[in-house]
Amino acid sequence: MLILRTLSRGQAMHGFEIADFIQATSTGILQVEEGSLYPALQRMLLKNWINGDWGRTEENRRARYYRPTAAGRRQLERELERYARVTRAISGVLALDSGGA
Amino acid sequence: MFRRLRSWSRRDAESAGIAEEMDLHRELRERRLRERGLAGDDAHFAARRQFGNAALYRDQISDLWGWSMWERFLQDLRFGARALAKAPGFTTVAVLTLALGLGINAAIFSAVGAVMLRALPYPEPDRLISLWEENTRPLSAAAKYSSTGAQAGSAGAVTRTTVAVANLDDYRASGAFEDLAAYDLAPLNLTGNDTPERIGGEAVTSNFFSVLDVSPARGRTFLPEEDKPGANLVAIVTDGFWRRRLGGAENALEQSILLDGKSYRIVGILPPGFQSPLDLGLQSKNEVYVTASYPAPLLASRADHEVNVVARLKPGISVASARAALSATSSNLARQFPSTNQWIRAAMAPLRDDLTGKVRTALLALLGASGLIVLIACVNVANLLMVRAAGRRHESSVRMALGSGRAGLMRQLLTESLLIGAGGCAAGIALGMALMKALTAIAPAGIPRIESAGMDWRVFSVSAVIALATSAIFGLAPAWQASQAKPVDALRTAARGMGGTSQARWRTALTIAEVALSLILLVGAGLLLRSFSTLMGVDLGFATDHVIAMNVNLPKTRYPDGAARLRFYQQLEARLRALPGVRSVAYANRMPMRGGWSSGIFLDGDQGRLAQPDFQAVNPGYFETLGIPLLGGRGFGDQDSASSQPVAIVNLEFARRLLNGGDPIGHSVQRGPGAPKIVIAGVVSDIRRSGKEGDIKPEVYLCAAQTSLYPVVLADLAVRTAGDPRSLVNAISNQVWAIDKDQPVTGVQTLDEIIDAAISQRRFQTLLLAVFGGVAVVLAVIGIYGVLAYSVSQRTAELGIRVALGAAPGTILKLVFQDAGALIGIGIVAGLAGALGLTRFLETLLFQIKPTDWRAYGAAILLLSAVGVAAALIPARRGASVDPMIALRQD
Repeated sequence: MLILRTLSRGQAMHGFEIADFIQATSTGILQVEEGSLYPALQRMLLKNWINGDWGRTEENRRARYYRPTAAGRRQLERELERYARVTRAISGVLALDSGGA
Repeated sequence: MFRRLRSWSRRDAESAGIAEEMDLHRELRERRLRERGLAGDDAHFAARRQFGNAALYRDQISDLWGWSMWERFLQDLRFGARALAKAPGFTTVAVLTLALGLGINAAIFSAVGAVMLRALPYPEPDRLISLWEENTRPLSAAAKYSSTGAQAGSAGAVTRTTVAVANLDDYRASGAFEDLAAYDLAPLNLTGNDTPERIGGEAVTSNFFSVLDVSPARGRTFLPEEDKPGANLVAIVTDGFWRRRLGGAENALEQSILLDGKSYRIVGILPPGFQSPLDLGLQSKNEVYVTASYPAPLLASRADHEVNVVARLKPGISVASARAALSATSSNLARQFPSTNQWIRAAMAPLRDDLTGKVRTALLALLGASGLIVLIACVNVANLLMVRAAGRRHESSVRMALGSGRAGLMRQLLTESLLIGAGGCAAGIALGMALMKALTAIAPAGIPRIESAGMDWRVFSVSAVIALATSAIFGLAPAWQASQAKPVDALRTAARGMGGTSQARWRTALTIAEVALSLILLVGAGLLLRSFSTLMGVDLGFATDHVIAMNVNLPKTRYPDGAARLRFYQQLEARLRALPGVRSVAYANRMPMRGGWSSGIFLDGDQGRLAQPDFQAVNPGYFETLGIPLLGGRGFGDQDSASSQPVAIVNLEFARRLLNGGDPIGHSVQRGPGAPKIVIAGVVSDIRRSGKEGDIKPEVYLCAAQTSLYPVVLADLAVRTAGDPRSLVNAISNQVWAIDKDQPVTGVQTLDEIIDAAISQRRFQTLLLAVFGGVAVVLAVIGIYGVLAYSVSQRTAELGIRVALGAAPGTILKLVFQDAGALIGIGIVAGLAGALGLTRFLETLLFQIKPTDWRAYGAAILLLSAVGVAAALIPARRGASVDPMIALRQD
């Protein structure tokens, strides 16, 4: 979800940019091994949620730039909605808890 | 799926790409960290730490795409191929065995498919019905008991006949059929510009093509009024005829052709490939269709069964309900017209079944036999696989002890089996194609549509499924067993040189099954061989050597009556007798084995003494030409003429059946009340008119000079020659043309060729089944040898100890032969039971041999025992020659 959300901002990004962006925006709270990004990207490629095209970085290095497909965008919407439902439910339960105390 | 496949084909590039991405990532991270102030090496390692285990992630990705599965499979495949290549003997035998079984099966399956399974080449063929009539009157009983009339249908030999034209409307009114059409062979003499030619043709009712639902490619079908008497003469020709005789001319539709001396206007040209049900898939080709204008007497007659009938069921009507409607109709007709229809019953079958009916049993028997071959081959391969797996227990346990997984081990063994299966399948299909060609080449004429047989996807897939299933199941069983064994136990038993007992039991059972199946095939082949040799030994009663026969069909337009035809034949006889090399000349309505005529008669004016003998009109030279000896009275001579007393010659069977063996000379027969009395003047010996498989029937030979008294047409000529009869064909034809240059000569065959053609189908079946039996024996020998050789090699140590303890070589031989004897003995007993059960189905294919013929069984048992013992010989001698020192040191 995070990857899709990151990519759906518009411009295509390569692996390091994605990892860096997620780290930066989550202010370093979400810390995972960065390598796990790559199986995740491959899984999404396989499911046709994203496309990966080889391009050049600013320093003229070869890198694969990922962008979401239409199916990927729909998937993101579904996931965001599910996430919203869950957080609503959780915050509802939490609110009940604090109200009762 | 597509992405997966694409990624598989480019997996190396993909992996490299992913590695590159990961490298870039770490590099960028390192640089970022260094920018934040970390020292060189620290930044490098921190970046690596943060990234995690790159190799692990790469493996994850590779699993994700399914590459690793493929990689492992390829590895198994390579390993399997190497392992098989190291055992070339085993591999060759296994692959060849499978190939033999599958090849034979594929060829037979294709042939049977072409003949029996493929749909007829007409639209909605399942609705097409063949219709005929059956005469249920008991043949001889009618003569003996007709006065009491009480024996209705008792000795009922039902004879199938064609349909009486007058009954057609009633059958049409039964309501089951959309329509029904009559058709019959009508060979015609084509004359005109080219050489006169006798062409195959059919006389059909005007709705014939609409019942078949076939439209001409050019022109039109017949109009309803065109099959009425006096209508314009029109013809529809095949595409082949149009190209061959009319040069494919565009204006052919306006042309007329001369058929039997009359001018027919061509109104339609059929689409290419059209064949009438009468010659569907046969070599003979009917090329011209004319309308059948049945004369008024025939249209009114329910007694003259003349035409073939094809009907199209109404949509939604089942065969069973149509049959019920038809049988109700024939019951009605029997009540309404007892004199003609009392014994007549309408019968029907789907057209396809009717066409294949005659060869159905034979083909099914062949299919069954080839199925048995496949079974034997599969059993053999299974056996070989199990022997091999058992032999590799040691290897398996070592590999397992060294840590390879059970799953991996099984996968490896299974891959090997599948390799053999795939190899066998490919070789089998190749062999099948070759066999298919051979089969259609040697197939006798008369098996409909066999030449259209070809491999199709069904054959391929059936073969592939059989091959892969066998190799998978029987590769899996030992693989599973091997993987079940605890490495320690396995190592220990392997060290002792013993096969697993359960495996040994399996192998024994499989070999017994193989022996049993082979016996069934051998018995079947034996029965057919016995039938064939019995048939060859049958005396026809006439001499077939040095006789050439041919049709000289004189058209009615030029030879309107019996007298004209007789004149032609008498002239021809005189001319032919003058030819050098001609011994004698016969002419008749039909020569033996070339069709005939039978008619009801009564004896000595007593209308109660009815019979239905064969009738022939023959010239005086007939008996000499065919070598039929005169036993009493006189032959025909110059004194017999159209104006003298009608005379006949009968055979012994006539006297036996109708006169209780008394002397027939002086008795008389009549073909109907008021018909001339025909006095019997001579007796000749019996012949089998319809060939070796036919019965001896009562025969009445009429005098050719008196044919104008009878409804019979002289049309067949036979010449006995001094030398090769074929060499005189041109000379004889020239004499015919010297009398009438427009007269075709057709159906030229020596009597030997006719006899040969008549038995060709049986010879074909017998040959195939004998070959199958031979293949089965070879496979069984391989099986027996394999099991015994293996068991001897496994028992080397045991045998060594026996020898060391003083066992004579003879004792060891006996041991091995006991094993062999048990295998063969039990197999034979099981096979006997199977054979007794299955050969019943061969009954209709047998000639004067019972399915339980003890000679066939005895020969099969002897042969199988002999080859079984021979197969045991080598392993037994190897066992007996075991050197105890070597044997005991082996471990």
